[in-house]
Amino acid sequence: MTTPGTASLWRNHILPFTLLVTLLGVATVIGDYLLHRLDLAWVGRYLGIPGTLLIIGSLTYSLRKRKVIASGNVKSWLSMHEIGTWLGSWMVLLHAGVHFNAILPWLATIAMGVNVISGMVGKMLLKRSREHVQAQREHYQLRGLSKAEVEQSVFWESVTFDAMAKWRKVHIPIFIAFAVLALGHIVSIFLFWGWR
Amino acid sequence: MSKILKIVLAANLIVLAILAFVYPHLMVGPGKLIPGHSKLETDCFACHAPFSGATTERCTTCHKPEEIGKLTTLGQPIQKPLTSTPFHQKLVKQDCLACHSDHAGVKRFHIAGRFNHALLQADARKECQSCHKSPKDSLHEQITGNCSQCHTQEKWVPATFDHDKYFVLDRDHNVKCATCHVRNDYSHYTCYGCHEHSPEKIRREHIEEGIRDFKNCVECHRSADEDDIRMPGRGRERD
Repeated sequence: MTTPGTASLWRNHILPFTLLVTLLGVATVIGDYLLHRLDLAWVGRYLGIPGTLLIIGSLTYSLRKRKVIASGNVKSWLSMHEIGTWLGSWMVLLHAGVHFNAILPWLATIAMGVNVISGMVGKMLLKRSREHVQAQREHYQLRGLSKAEVEQSVFWESVTFDAMAKWRKVHIPIFIAFAVLALGHIVSIFLFWGWR
Repeated sequence: MSKILKIVLAANLIVLAILAFVYPHLMVGPGKLIPGHSKLETDCFACHAPFSGATTERCTTCHKPEEIGKLTTLGQPIQKPLTSTPFHQKLVKQDCLACHSDHAGVKRFHIAGRFNHALLQADARKECQSCHKSPKDSLHEQITGNCSQCHTQEKWVPATFDHDKYFVLDRDHNVKCATCHVRNDYSHYTCYGCHEHSPEKIRREHIEEGIRDFKNCVECHRSADEDDIRMPGRGRERD
């Protein structure tokens, strides 16, 4: 039997996460099928370019978060980061197709997949953190608890923030691995491809 | 990110970079090369120029255009040429990549048999039978050359033969070819292949009109339209 808290965790966090990952897989299979069916398989070959540009563009959020860029609403940048990376990954997956030729691009694709899943886990953790912080802090302060008591009461807040910090420690190396592998693939294309 | 993690990550990426240089055909090559080029598997720059891809100049270093279809790259006569007449000498320009792709992963995007005939010189474009064999059926057996009267150089099927010039295939005549062209012999036809046109009925109808020569139906009937009957030498005769 599930408790209300467990049901909420499932409904608000795990279910959207699962749906987004599943949707990416289903959209890729449908897109690949349609490209082949419409005799447009060659289009997939070039979808890696807009896909990569979308992913690179969506990194603006990281720059804004680290205050390298001063303008713009962080929340909007985050939404663009989420949408851009999802769409970009979808295009790159279509670009990869189900054609196993070279190892390097496939390592890059796998790293991208792990990166996307990690990103969605981060999205889930962030949402949960926000809910927890806002609701719990206000709740404990309104009860007139002392500072120490509030600190103790918002223990879960720090736990969730810790979770975000720990998540970043995993997400960033995954991203770096993906970026380097993708760069290796891109460099090899520029080096050998004839663009025709 | 911890220092150890950074070192592990960097070490892995360096190993991958080294592997890409040592085994380029496995790490970055888009699939195996054609059997004839298997010895070049690890020598990417035998065919690829840096940053501009595989080039015709590098192909023709081994495959001399004047010898293609006649001699191997070792100078030996080709025992079983793919075409009866070599045609690479009749191309408007040497552009190997327009038709050829060596890597299995790239060949997938080249539709088999998609040869652009516009690459041939105008005279060579008319010599279909230098490369193509005529189909072995009664229709094609009696035709030599001039394929373009029925077929385009983009597609063999569908043929552009205009049946309406001989007889309009309307909804009552939308049947298999063999119904009229028995045993797919397109040099002959019969209108008695269906129940509507029995020899007796046709004979009776024509005799009633005073017409005694009615063996060649399409001489007068180019469609099922009874108002569209042409009678050579007698003008249009129908009230």
